Amino acid sequence: MARYIIKRILMAVVTLFIITFLLFLLVRIMPGNPFPSERMSDEAIAKKREEMGLDDPILVQFGNYMKEVVTTGSFGKGSSLYNGAPISTVLPTAMNNSFRIGTAAILLGVITGLILGIAAALNRGHFWDVFCSVLSIVGVCIPSYVFMIFLQYYFAYKTTIFPFYFNNRRFVLSTVMPALSLSLFSMSTIARFTRNEMVEVMDSDYILMAESKGMYGSRLVMRHVLRNALIPIVTVIAPLIVDLLTGALVVEKIYGINGIGKLMVDAITGEGIDYNYVLALGILYSAMYIGIMLVLDIVYCLLDPRIRVSGDPRRKKQNTEGSGGMPGGTQQDVPVQSVDQILDGRGVQL
Amino acid sequence: MNIRKMITAGLAGMAMAVLGSCVALAGGDIYVMFSTNVMSLDTNLATDGESFELIADCIDGLTQMDSEGAAIPAIAESWDVSDDGCTYTFHLRDDANWSNGEPVTAADFEFAWKLAMTANVEYNYMFDSSVGAVKNADAILYEEGDPDTLGVKAVDDKTLEVELEVPVSFFPSLLYFPTFYPINQAFYESFGDGEYGTSPSSFLSNGAFLLDDYIPGAASMTVVKNPDYYDADRVNLDSITYQVVGSSDQALTGFKSGNLDLAVVSGDQVASVQDDAQLADSLNVVGAGYLWYLSFSQTENNSSDGSLGNVNLRLAITNAIDRESLADNYVMDGSLPTYTAVPPQFAASATTGEDFSADQEMFADYIGFDTARAQEYYEKAKEELGTDSFQFTMIYGNNEGDEVAKVAQAIKEQVEAALDGVTIDLQAMTKAERLEKMQNDDYCVALTRWGPDYADPMTYLGMWVTDNANNYGFWSNEEYDQLITDCTSGAYVSDYDARWEALYKAEELVMQEAVIAPLYTKANANLIIDNLEGVDFHPVALNRVYKDAVLN
Repeated sequence: MARYIIKRILMAVVTLFIITFLLFLLVRIMPGNPFPSERMSDEAIAKKREEMGLDDPILVQFGNYMKEVVTTGSFGKGSSLYNGAPISTVLPTAMNNSFRIGTAAILLGVITGLILGIAAALNRGHFWDVFCSVLSIVGVCIPSYVFMIFLQYYFAYKTTIFPFYFNNRRFVLSTVMPALSLSLFSMSTIARFTRNEMVEVMDSDYILMAESKGMYGSRLVMRHVLRNALIPIVTVIAPLIVDLLTGALVVEKIYGINGIGKLMVDAITGEGIDYNYVLALGILYSAMYIGIMLVLDIVYCLLDPRIRVSGDPRRKKQNTEGSGGMPGGTQQDVPVQSVDQILDGRGVQL
Repeated sequence: MNIRKMITAGLAGMAMAVLGSCVALAGGDIYVMFSTNVMSLDTNLATDGESFELIADCIDGLTQMDSEGAAIPAIAESWDVSDDGCTYTFHLRDDANWSNGEPVTAADFEFAWKLAMTANVEYNYMFDSSVGAVKNADAILYEEGDPDTLGVKAVDDKTLEVELEVPVSFFPSLLYFPTFYPINQAFYESFGDGEYGTSPSSFLSNGAFLLDDYIPGAASMTVVKNPDYYDADRVNLDSITYQVVGSSDQALTGFKSGNLDLAVVSGDQVASVQDDAQLADSLNVVGAGYLWYLSFSQTENNSSDGSLGNVNLRLAITNAIDRESLADNYVMDGSLPTYTAVPPQFAASATTGEDFSADQEMFADYIGFDTARAQEYYEKAKEELGTDSFQFTMIYGNNEGDEVAKVAQAIKEQVEAALDGVTIDLQAMTKAERLEKMQNDDYCVALTRWGPDYADPMTYLGMWVTDNANNYGFWSNEEYDQLITDCTSGAYVSDYDARWEALYKAEELVMQEAVIAPLYTKANANLIIDNLEGVDFHPVALNRVYKDAVLN
């Protein structure tokens, strides 16, 4: 297992490096000017470009950039955003805001999603099941920012329970509405997924076997049903977590939160495109995705002893695919497939 | 400014101070909307209106704006001007201190100005011969001269001597622009590269308010009253909290819910605000200074065939545009249809006090909404160019305001309807891309804007000089160049009225040749709560000043 983890970490580092390089190239070929000044002379702009080394060959630029990032551990200064203030003066607060709201949204989404999903699966065909289904559809369909506007209207405008705009000095109260609206999508997704997985597992032969042996109630649900259903659920949760942590562009904009989503938009659509901010945030996003995927793979190992033994969940997939599997799909092949599906087919979560 | 005027201004300032101190100290906290983030609190680096506003809340320059925009004493208690108008001696007040307790000295100004010379910053052109004409600024900025040779000298702690290349009639009014504000050298240098002004602890105030809550990129920031301000009695507000609100819908709801006391709404909201009995009284339209205009590329380049180099074609287009309709039906926030190259409301004559562009009919011979005349010009253009169909791409920014796309569409429809054979393709892009295209001369027509940097028509007319970086049309006219040179450094520098006349003559050339097609002068539709009074609005330099603001 240790070998497997080390291998995954190395792969993660290589992936991040490649992504950084691609990002670096892409940012530089994006349309727009890093110094879109109407008042500076051409000479002054040329000097600025020189200071930033923008006229060097692209590989030299990349080398210098990586050297700075690795040796100083900082992403340098912005080119146009905040008039060249070091990124380190801006990014931590933005990350802090986004992460705190994101974490609240994740906890809320995961916990309520799981509870709803379990309740629905255990009450198949009854009220909770219908309730959960309706809520899931509504939750997936309503964009978080629409829900945010709704909340803001009723709870900050009609009644002034929560602050109308995000306020750092009333952080907890300010967090409630954005966290709620952001959690809606993940809650619905998780609830629906949990329900389906649970139902599938509960229909399987080994649960019938367990029941026939006299196992019932919470022991059956927690030890056998939920544990087997969790693998695919963890897969869905992972990208949702990154999504929520990396900020929600529109909600941040509506509520006036200076988070990293808003920072990214500012860096691209501000007066000039700020190369260094776009890069720093791009790297941050990628690092988080890669990090979460890494954690995910490790969690698989812990959840599923078969993966632990074989050492590679992806190999497991190939093994089970050949075996025909159980009716309705096997729980083993779902996770890997879902990672790919989710990463390929995901739209941007607003 | 002559001595008499200066004394009058000084007296006015004192009178205001006395009046201010008589008003009951109501105090109060107000919440004000910013449309975009504050970019920098470093006076040297700041370039945007929001930053200037926050900086000016906290820092006073040598002069400050009165409610009409005239320069009145601030840190400089008084100043003398030499007979040739080229040497200003500023006498600094004794009771002005930085928020760390140190006095504001002449050396703080000398340091800040020389710093602007060494840094590659947007507004250091304000020192050069096209604007402030501070001695040796051109040589330092454009010929790698020694920054120490700049014509600014701290004679002693409280006396600052500034030498100019030529007399500049509006020089004192430049000094309330943040680029000319002082910086405490020791404090500035105690911070690492780019870290000065990134938090309340890395920022010094000497003005009406102290920075209380701020980080770069903050969505809300607060300034509180400075009890040690030399003119503290004048300041009534206890605090101002700024909230960055990106969408005008959020701004309107924020205002209605009492979360904002001063907000700017968009043109399409104005009608609904006017219909709302409660809100209508709060509506207050003020000039924002920006002139929106069409820039025509007059060269042959990647994107254009050079046909816009034809004067008659440009005149045809400018006469086919219904500016009243643009302002009333598309912008809708009280913006003024504009028929002059210098927009109204920001530059008043120092001798008569009259607005330079008060008379919008002045160039009616060349510009107006007159499709018949447009047709005449168009026929001539077709004959001269030997073709009867034209296709242009018009570029505009999609992040420059909600109304811009609508205005672009309206212009397309108006021009295509009036001039048979003209096709205008619209192309939306970010402002940065639009600028890049214009700077590289890779466009045909651009919908663009310019805000005044200082209260003189030259802030607009200076742009159309041959080879000026903002002359995006690449228009060139010797007579025009000569007129502008005479106004900035030649025959007219010391004859105020003659200069004013020469500027009109220059403007006429611009209109006659339709170098640009002015469209409208932007206004801001503000919502202000009823009990907030005394906020000064200016179209130039500092858009909102709160020193006299009172919350009843």
